[in-house]
Amino acid sequence: MPALIMFRSLTYAQRAARSLQRQGIPADITKAPQGTTDKGCTYCVRVADQRLSSSLNALRNEGIEHGRILQQSGSEYREVRL
Amino acid sequence: MIYLDSAATSLLKPKSVGLAMEHALRTMASPSRGGYSAAMDAAETVYACREAAAALFHCESEQVVFTMNATHALNLAIHALVKPGMRILISGYEHNAVLRPLIAASADVVVARSPLFDRAAALEAFRSRMGECDAVVCTHVSNVFGFVLPIEEIAAECKRQGVPLIVDASQSAGALPIDLKALDCAFIAMPGHKGLMGPQGTGILLCNHATLPLLHGGTGSDSRRRTMPELLPERLEAGTVNVPGIAGLLEGLRYIQLTGLERIRLQEQSLLCFFEGCVRDSGAKIFFSAAPEAQHAVLSLIPGNGNCEQLAESLGRAGIAVRSGLHCAPLAHETAGTSESGTVRFSFSPLLTEKDVGEAGRKTKEILKNNYSL
Repeated sequence: MPALIMFRSLTYAQRAARSLQRQGIPADITKAPQGTTDKGCTYCVRVADQRLSSSLNALRNEGIEHGRILQQSGSEYREVRL
Repeated sequence: MIYLDSAATSLLKPKSVGLAMEHALRTMASPSRGGYSAAMDAAETVYACREAAAALFHCESEQVVFTMNATHALNLAIHALVKPGMRILISGYEHNAVLRPLIAASADVVVARSPLFDRAAALEAFRSRMGECDAVVCTHVSNVFGFVLPIEEIAAECKRQGVPLIVDASQSAGALPIDLKALDCAFIAMPGHKGLMGPQGTGILLCNHATLPLLHGGTGSDSRRRTMPELLPERLEAGTVNVPGIAGLLEGLRYIQLTGLERIRLQEQSLLCFFEGCVRDSGAKIFFSAAPEAQHAVLSLIPGNGNCEQLAESLGRAGIAVRSGLHCAPLAHETAGTSESGTVRFSFSPLLTEKDVGEAGRKTKEILKNNYSL
């Protein structure tokens, strides 16, 4: 199941995805699923569930801020509390 | 035609620029809007261009804001920094793209005048007036004379005195090193369609200071918010960006990266000196500096009879494209004492050959010597 890391803008999502890819973590960009954000249009970086922890560490090391983190559970998304 | 008007726009471009634009026109949708592949391809291209510019100018990709041209970028920078009544120090070589927005912002404009090609005097002119001013706007290279102002030293002095600096890199981007981190200035504005080899309708503003939008509208993010997002670059990019233009600009940046700034600089420098040698002793007044660090890629001259328009017209008929007049920079002419006549400007591209430039030089000299006919 994928995890979604949300960003405040597409540019930041792109920067994050590029950074993860450079560090060997497969990541792609997708629009936030319906009902997961109250900010309107939002983009997320999608990573494999088991790479979430290393992804967040990598982003922290690069100084890239992110928003909420969601994990897919069936057809629903639940927020991951860090 | 031999094109010697690259200071206006780079008509000579790598072939990949046009191909990338055509590809974008056919296949790319609006970036930062949809999530389907044509929209994401556009977003990827736009981001790749941000990254390429960030690498060339030593900044983060989100500090790269796409604009319509350098004038748009300068207007954004001045809008963010200048309030009515502020004292703004500028060089004596500024373009109307600096002067007019400052006047429109009701700034009190102070000119740091210094003689042509005298870099030490230019620095001293800034240093001596900076303390009484709220901000500095300075061109890196004069679009009329090719005079290279000592921008690194001026930036260091601005930093020392705590005065924000806007750099107009219209004539230097893509040929001379520009480092936002090292300069640590507020903004750097540049066109995409000159030294960066992109198409017309593209420009870049590098941001290192709080910004204020000039245009308000959709950005594809934070959509519920009634005001523009706080984050760059979206904050300054209302509406759909020029994706085909940015795709072309990306190829221009790749050409620069592959060729190397130093090689481009040396090629342009060499063509400038070669051309000056060709037109020397033609009876024209030539604005040329023997110090290579003081002049880059642009050479102005005034024919013996002072009729610049006539010379440009004759050159045009002979297949040589140059610009005559004031070059949208009346201040530079006031400083250099050429306001009455203007000048004929020859400007060089790294894609020109010595053969082309030699032929242009020979014809120019013949026209000057033979009373404007070949």
